[in-house]
Amino acid sequence: MTDRRPAPNVPAVRITGLRRQYGQVHAVDGLDLEVRPGEMLTVLGPSGCGKTTVLRLIAGLETPDAGTIEIGGRRVAGSGASVPPERRRVGMVFQDFALFPHLSVRDNVGYGLRRDPDREVRVRELLDLIDLADAAGHMPYQLSGGMQQRVALARALAPRPDVVLLDEPFSNLDAALRTQLRGEVREILRAAGTASIFVTHDQDEALTLGDRMAVMVRGRVEQCAPPEVVYGEPATPFAATFVGIANLVPAECHASQAITRFGAVRLVGPRAARAEGRALVVLRPEHLDVLEAPDGPAGLDAWQVLRRRFAGTEILYEVVAADGERLWVEAGPGVRRLRVGDSVALRLRDVETVAFPSGPSTSAGAVSDPLIEGSTVA
Amino acid sequence: MLDADAVQSRRLLAGFGRRDEPARRAPWPLLAAGLAIAGLALLPLVYLVVRAFGADAASLDLVVRPRTFTVAASTVALALLVGLGTVGLGVPIAWLTTRTDLPARRAWAVLTVVPLAIPSYVTGFAFLAAFGPRGALQGLLAPFGVERLPSIGGLFGATLVLVLVTYPYVVLSTRSAILRTDPSVEDAARLLGDRRVAVFRRVTLPVLIPAIAAGALLAVLYALSDFGAVSLLQFDSFSRAIYVQYRASFDRSLAAILALMLVGMTLAVTWGEARLRRRAGSYVTGGRSTRRPPTIVPLGRWRWPAFGLCVAVVGLALAVPAGTIAWWLLRAVGQGEPVRLVVDGTVNSFIAGGGAALGAVALALPIGLLVARFPSRLASLVEGATYTGFALPGIVIALSVVFLATNVVPVLYQTLALLVLAYAIRFLPQAVGAVRAAVVGVGPRVEEAGRSLGDGPVRAFVRLTLPLLRPALVAGGALVFLTTVKELPMALLLGPIGFETLATEIWDAASEGFYARAAGPAMLLLALSAATVAILLRSDETGR
Repeated sequence: MTDRRPAPNVPAVRITGLRRQYGQVHAVDGLDLEVRPGEMLTVLGPSGCGKTTVLRLIAGLETPDAGTIEIGGRRVAGSGASVPPERRRVGMVFQDFALFPHLSVRDNVGYGLRRDPDREVRVRELLDLIDLADAAGHMPYQLSGGMQQRVALARALAPRPDVVLLDEPFSNLDAALRTQLRGEVREILRAAGTASIFVTHDQDEALTLGDRMAVMVRGRVEQCAPPEVVYGEPATPFAATFVGIANLVPAECHASQAITRFGAVRLVGPRAARAEGRALVVLRPEHLDVLEAPDGPAGLDAWQVLRRRFAGTEILYEVVAADGERLWVEAGPGVRRLRVGDSVALRLRDVETVAFPSGPSTSAGAVSDPLIEGSTVA
Repeated sequence: MLDADAVQSRRLLAGFGRRDEPARRAPWPLLAAGLAIAGLALLPLVYLVVRAFGADAASLDLVVRPRTFTVAASTVALALLVGLGTVGLGVPIAWLTTRTDLPARRAWAVLTVVPLAIPSYVTGFAFLAAFGPRGALQGLLAPFGVERLPSIGGLFGATLVLVLVTYPYVVLSTRSAILRTDPSVEDAARLLGDRRVAVFRRVTLPVLIPAIAAGALLAVLYALSDFGAVSLLQFDSFSRAIYVQYRASFDRSLAAILALMLVGMTLAVTWGEARLRRRAGSYVTGGRSTRRPPTIVPLGRWRWPAFGLCVAVVGLALAVPAGTIAWWLLRAVGQGEPVRLVVDGTVNSFIAGGGAALGAVALALPIGLLVARFPSRLASLVEGATYTGFALPGIVIALSVVFLATNVVPVLYQTLALLVLAYAIRFLPQAVGAVRAAVVGVGPRVEEAGRSLGDGPVRAFVRLTLPLLRPALVAGGALVFLTTVKELPMALLLGPIGFETLATEIWDAASEGFYARAAGPAMLLLALSAATVAILLRSDETGR
């Protein structure tokens, strides 16, 4: 197959105003997204936020109600265009792999190359890439989950698609294998130089894999930026609390500065200069030092430890103030192990963060709860 | 390269114990009982072989007689045509009732498999009574000067009736493969550049083929073993030839040899079916939790023709038999046919069926326990032996049991006990299947808890496991009962003189053209068939 890869400045995928409704449910509700050539974009969102629907719309397995999709600069859906899936040049790795059960590994990988004179060569090249040359003659049911995963990826890459879509590809695998495959998949895609969209509900996956990540909720993209920017300068309260642990603390803003009960923080991000008046600022657990003085140094409030969560090198504590405000804070190895009921004081570090204007209805202290993820409380 | 984990999980799926439990050694009384039952189940086959090889040279010459070849050729032709017919009918119906917007799809999904429960000789009788030389259609057309209708018998009639009775095998196996195939597989093929038609040819069909073939082989097996329909429609396949030979001549060696040839064919088919089913299983266990439902294909202008196909098939396989039987039943009431015949037949059928159900469940219990609790190579062999009844045509088992009784235990010949025992052997696989699944479901923990509270092994089993198994034992017994009541050739060959069941009454009356007399028992059997379907559907819903 001739290499019809688009020029480097053309986005691999460009989506504008995409909508798809099922009955009363707006699965995708005015979504904009762009994937740059060679980039891996992770899409992170809670279950049911429309992530999978977006992939199926890009692949042509569903038809959008409105909006346009361009792949490699070519309009494939919207404004009259409707290219069938087989001519979209999109590769897809399904959640359950969807290998052809009646074909060997070799024939699975070569499936999309049937008119390609160099089929044999290309298949061997891909089998080497996924390190499964020895298993070329095996049938899918003889492979472990991790191997099936790699075959699915090679099969999607074989016809040199403009973009590869990965739909929660690790969700059927156990945790140890998942971490290992994360690295492998990233290497394989990087070596192939193909742009990819990787959908997941696992924030570790989204943070570690993506060149950029899109945070999606209720059919829209809340923020699309490199992972460290999404973490450091979340665009919305949802993005702040969904990626990592965030305390939303009431503050008074003025001139790129916010005054909290702990003192002043500097505001960053595109809206920093415009923030005025009452707002909620994002304080990550690592933004606060925990001081184990029962009465606290002069001028600091006393907080009581509510519960404790061990997280490797540091320990997270949920603490509550006399006025009922709750926060998650982090104590490094220097701090004595605190017990539930202990009194502590909190001191703000040198912090750059973002603020969200708080409307009258916004309640203070909207905190994402790390315990939802099933960790143990000591 | 074979991943140990994948192998292990397939072993688990195949029902080989649990991962954390080493196989335990079976207690010797259980093992002894299992071996004895396996021997009993193998007895008909073994004795048939002994008998056939004991034939003298003169009767061996019979094997190469032209007549033998004619019968073999007819049988093969019938089997092939039934195989083709069931695929031609079953695959489209399976697809229409799972993947399309066929009107009343759910109703068709049930209705199209019901004919499976109707015994072939009932459908055969109904076709004779409807389209035969003195049938209902001719009666209706007589005022218009129609004296004679073309014959419904022979290869055409036998094929038609057998296809209508067995195509549901293909529907069931194909449908389950369609439902268990991951629909993303088809999406994947499209994204790799294939159009819809190419996807069907390169992916959908190849994935389904083992399942289709497995269903078709079941239908072929049925056709090879069928006695009722081919006899009524006077088509000389092996089973009819065996019966005629047995009844007509004093030298029964030829019947034994013909039976052995038939067994050869059915064993080959059974083996092929088992192999394909295994492959079909490995094809369709791809995805796991996150499967989307199969995509529904809009039929467009084919919607109503497809509906018409379902109407035609269900009409021929269900409505024609039911309608014809009802028509003749009304005439029978008008002619004052004796009700006593129906009552006697019903009582006898229930006695034979009840005895067979009790016997089969009693024999199945040790086998089920042995296989599910103490898996070993020997246990698998024992279980395999109990499945002989499934592979052997009823006429063959009956013939062998007759030989055995006359030569070895003449006291038993022509007794009800012998008939019941033969039935228990024949339908043992159904009971073993039910018991085994139930034992796996109950698990050994309950009994272990009983042991820890002071019960001995037997006491714990009787107090705890047995009551938990009871629903499954009842269900398995009910299935054996219904199948026995519908069984024909064994009742004909093994029933004591004067012991008429519903099945033999239909056969006697229909083969002599007394359609009105056959209508009463036939209607009762139709009702029992409906009961069979209801039980099967219920156990299908509760997962197996």
